[in-house]
Amino acid sequence: MSHFYHFDTISLHAGQTVDPEFGARATPIYQTTSYVFPDTDTAASTFNLERGGHVYSRITNPTVGVLEQRIAALEGGSAAVCTASGMAATFCAITAILSQGDHIVASSQMYGGNVSLMKNTLPRFGIETTFFDPTDLDSFKAAIQDNTRLIYGELIGNPGLDILDLDAIVKVGNDKHIPVMVDATFNTPYLCRCFDYGVNITIHSVTKWMGGHGTAIGGVVVDGGNFDWGATDKYPTITEPYAPFQGINFWEEFGPSAFATRIRAEAMRDFGAMMSPMNAFLLLQGIETLSLRMDKHLSNTEALLEHLSNHKQVSWVSHPDLSSHSSHELAKKYLPKGAGSIVSFGVKGGRDAGKAFIENVQLASHLANVGDAKTLIIHPATTTHSRIDADALVAAGITEDMIRLSVGLEDVEDIKADFENGFRAARKFADA
Amino acid sequence: MGFTTRQIHAGVTPDPTTGSILTPIYQSTTFVQDSVDEYLGKGYSYSRSGNPTVKALETKLANLEGGVDCSCFGTGMGATTATMLAFLGAGKHAVVSDVAYGGTYRLATKVLSRFGIEFTFADTANPEDVAAAVRDNTAMIFTETPANPTMKCSDIAAISAIAKKAGAVHVVDNTLLTPYYQLPLELGADVSVHSTTKYMDGHNATVGGAAISKTEEHAAAIRFIQNSTGSIMSPQVAWLTSQGCKTMSIRMDQQSANAMAVATFLESHPKVEQVRYPGLESFDQYELATRQASGYGAMAWFEVKGGLAAGKKLMDTIEVWTLAENLGSVESLITHPVTMTHADVEESERKRVGIIDGLVRLSVGLEDAEDLIGALDKALAGI
Repeated sequence: MSHFYHFDTISLHAGQTVDPEFGARATPIYQTTSYVFPDTDTAASTFNLERGGHVYSRITNPTVGVLEQRIAALEGGSAAVCTASGMAATFCAITAILSQGDHIVASSQMYGGNVSLMKNTLPRFGIETTFFDPTDLDSFKAAIQDNTRLIYGELIGNPGLDILDLDAIVKVGNDKHIPVMVDATFNTPYLCRCFDYGVNITIHSVTKWMGGHGTAIGGVVVDGGNFDWGATDKYPTITEPYAPFQGINFWEEFGPSAFATRIRAEAMRDFGAMMSPMNAFLLLQGIETLSLRMDKHLSNTEALLEHLSNHKQVSWVSHPDLSSHSSHELAKKYLPKGAGSIVSFGVKGGRDAGKAFIENVQLASHLANVGDAKTLIIHPATTTHSRIDADALVAAGITEDMIRLSVGLEDVEDIKADFENGFRAARKFADA
Repeated sequence: MGFTTRQIHAGVTPDPTTGSILTPIYQSTTFVQDSVDEYLGKGYSYSRSGNPTVKALETKLANLEGGVDCSCFGTGMGATTATMLAFLGAGKHAVVSDVAYGGTYRLATKVLSRFGIEFTFADTANPEDVAAAVRDNTAMIFTETPANPTMKCSDIAAISAIAKKAGAVHVVDNTLLTPYYQLPLELGADVSVHSTTKYMDGHNATVGGAAISKTEEHAAAIRFIQNSTGSIMSPQVAWLTSQGCKTMSIRMDQQSANAMAVATFLESHPKVEQVRYPGLESFDQYELATRQASGYGAMAWFEVKGGLAAGKKLMDTIEVWTLAENLGSVESLITHPVTMTHADVEESERKRVGIIDGLVRLSVGLEDAEDLIGALDKALAGI
């Protein structure tokens, strides 16, 4: 039987062949715009995708390429394309297969940026979205229309933390022949490899846990290589000739990586949301410790869940690893190591207490990011989800007293002690 | 090939693996060996001893300076320290320009003197003074021309001849003119040192240094000290400096033209006591500056009537010019050496070498000359 490398080994080695010129152990940073061709025949065949190779860094770059191959290997996908941000990844992935008149069915529990893209931006280009409650499979099935070309969700919903039932969603996708795209930012391939459950495409903001240090913005689209684009005529961008490349047919030429190649040939070329080589280098370095960091994120989360659940000033705590959470069983199934390091909780005393808490903790940073090595807190109703209306706020599972916590890697006793600063300040509102 | 062609292409060959037109940034500590027998077969083992990105810059600078090899350092002071350690030791003596950069003066008097190295500070504008300072144990003559900040020039060829006769190496700090304007190795010197932070980077982005040798023997001596003491340039810095070098000659020409315009303006201004710029005919070493370099650079100084108080007011109120240390970058900087760059030089020594209290140093950048002059005019009017 052949031997397949395990996760930690892949985190360190996949995608990198040691620099053949000097043997540099680390991936060189190819901070270059373009690549010298040895001759005109090579130039021509590289340009028209007959052969692999680099032309211009907007489209491919060797340093970014190592990161793409590493993430594809960690996910178990066929190919990956890195982008300048997670939002760019989502946009490029959607527009690679959807056009005017097409329809998306998407979970209502998503990052506000994803919701806004589908609700406000894509409709201007004729792409409509129907949102469904991820805890209600009937609402999901009812949302599917004849022109639905994509099913989209976040495995761990933001910020309600409800878990998508991948098996059920994928079954419907398979039956209706619609690809399932999952934003896997909150789980990373370490906690769940979505392709193992038949998901077809994953998206990550690699800014978060994958990079892990809050140093570089980036995104990635991973092609699962497991969707039969040619089975129907519903995906002409993949299966019909593409004029800019002499009528190339991605499905015929690239098979399991046809989707990723379409993104590279069109989105990277025309939209230009490339990841910089320096960011790719920083993110590669982050991924080297992905499993170590995730284990520590999870153990800190577990300790804080217990601490907050027993705290007299906490009105409620939400995390799928708690038996009280509505997605607890799904979390055990899809995220057996743990359901990530995002926790939401309410401080007794409502909105003012929540505000006082956030303003008086010192170690935890008040900012709009998640997945940093440092503990972060935010008040979603006034920040990340401020651009969506009151009804959508409720649908997304957000309450006014909600504090979202991204548990970092600090000593957990220090996080607990820091939170006491916040609770002390919130106390007067709780007593009122 | 011409300087401008070489500043772009020297040391850079397209990456053989990918064709990348720029040298990749080898941000790697170590290099994988093919086998024990082929150790160092590809030239690299550990980035303290050598790094391909740094090597590309070193090759470029050695070419531009007309040397055989170059070592790049984390700072200009790193280059000066390694060069001094390479040729000096307990019981040895060095003659150093009495108007060398304050950091060089501090290194000699406060640090290397603790290890039994003796220094004599001589007026290197006067070769007889240098010859008189030479002793039996003199192993190095260190000059800086033009010197920072007095702009005093030293005759490189004449001092090289003195060094040769004494069996000493002549090291020239060539930071202020760069190899584009001045080639000390061609004039007889043995080693050129640079703060690459200045005109080579040119954009205030990095701190770095370089030492370029005329002989393999000297280069090896410096490289040995570098590997032993660990003062290296990072690959990131080397990469950015390589980018800066590509426009060095055109920046130098424009900044020098701006400096000439500024100096000419100041010389005719009634509130200015004196101006020192090697390109002015009033400069007392104008003949030497013209003979041994092909340009005058972009450093100048002047004294405002009203002394220190007037100078301080000018520096605190001036627009466009930035009150900051460093020099040579595209941003024009204004500095007060007595309280800033040369604060570590004793008052008596400062006075002796001409760093007067009212000296205002200018590093002229790439802004429009009209804006630079306009800002000086306005600030002078306010005094």
